[in-house]
Amino acid sequence: MTTHCLARTIAALTLACATALPLAAQEPLGALARANLAKPRPKAPFDLTGTWFIDQRNSENTWHFNPTGPFKLTPAAQVHYDAAKKAQAEGKVYHDDIGQCWPAGLPLIMTRVWPIAMIQQPTAIYMISGFMNSLRTIYLDGRPHSDPDVVVPSFNGESIGRWEGDTLVVDTRYFVDDHHWIDSGIPASDQLHIVERITLVNNGNTLQIAYTMTDPKSWEGDWKVTKRWTRVEDTDIAEVSCLPDLNQHMPSTQSTDNVR
Amino acid sequence: MKTYAVGLACSLVVLTAPAALAHHSAAGVDQAKTVTIVGELKEFKWANPHSWMDIAVTDEKGATKLWSVEMTAPAYLARAGWTSKTVKPGDKVTVAVHPMKNGDPGGLFVNITLPDGRVLGQSPAAPRAPQ
Repeated sequence: MTTHCLARTIAALTLACATALPLAAQEPLGALARANLAKPRPKAPFDLTGTWFIDQRNSENTWHFNPTGPFKLTPAAQVHYDAAKKAQAEGKVYHDDIGQCWPAGLPLIMTRVWPIAMIQQPTAIYMISGFMNSLRTIYLDGRPHSDPDVVVPSFNGESIGRWEGDTLVVDTRYFVDDHHWIDSGIPASDQLHIVERITLVNNGNTLQIAYTMTDPKSWEGDWKVTKRWTRVEDTDIAEVSCLPDLNQHMPSTQSTDNVR
Repeated sequence: MKTYAVGLACSLVVLTAPAALAHHSAAGVDQAKTVTIVGELKEFKWANPHSWMDIAVTDEKGATKLWSVEMTAPAYLARAGWTSKTVKPGDKVTVAVHPMKNGDPGGLFVNITLPDGRVLGQSPAAPRAPQ
């Protein structure tokens, strides 16, 4: 075999090997990895894909998270709560971080009066709020929560879901503990833990979430509340950003009376 | 700068709280009061999450203040008949607002009376939903 012939043979073999080898899937797989999506799984009991809006047909205040049952704040949280009540009585805004462009974060991002687009795949549900285009991902591919020493805390936390019969149970933790509020004067800490039991009712037109929230730094025991959303077919979400120059023209966010 | 007389028509009207329309708290806004301002539109921004108008308003003493008026998102203004060209800088506008409690020149938009007499408000944020 001549040198020229050998070189051509090596080149041909190299090309053949390169084209024959599939790109090896690296574990752990991303939620949208083809190999992850292709894994055999039981059919999901329901599909949340659609656009949803907090149900305000009975009240415009359904976006608030009001605790039901006995509820006691920790002394540290009570200071914030009392100060917020005092500010409200004086016509002032207390720590309106959302108005200053901090993310709303869970749970409040779910009940902002803006539509939420939800896209369900076998491995994850992606929720994009029309409010600042906040992204929330609920992983359904069987992964555990991340190592607490590695995970990056976030305003929406890390959500891991599992199916229990016709209910999707979602466990969310690892939250940012600064500029993050459950409601006015009720801070969320890095110990916030939220369990949501999600069901689809009313012929698939109503999304219901029963929340159980604990945060030993802010309140005692379980905070339970149930919220509902209606499916809307005539709207989309748009690009929405909180911008400094926009806020310059918002007197409610610029008032020097606001308590920051 | 052109100056206009100010028409301050205060009325105690209990309206539904528009706080939910905003991306932030409206605790500093007097939602029980509606004030009508007349002035020259300096700027109208058609943008998410809020549109807004800056209006130069001159009072009876000749002092001019710039009022910032917060509006809802364009999608909900469009449902009430608005477009990005409904008003333009230089227009004389008559606008009803819920004013700031602390007297700052500004507030939340209620409606506008256009030169042709049409009155445009803003639609509720909640879209129609199947029952």
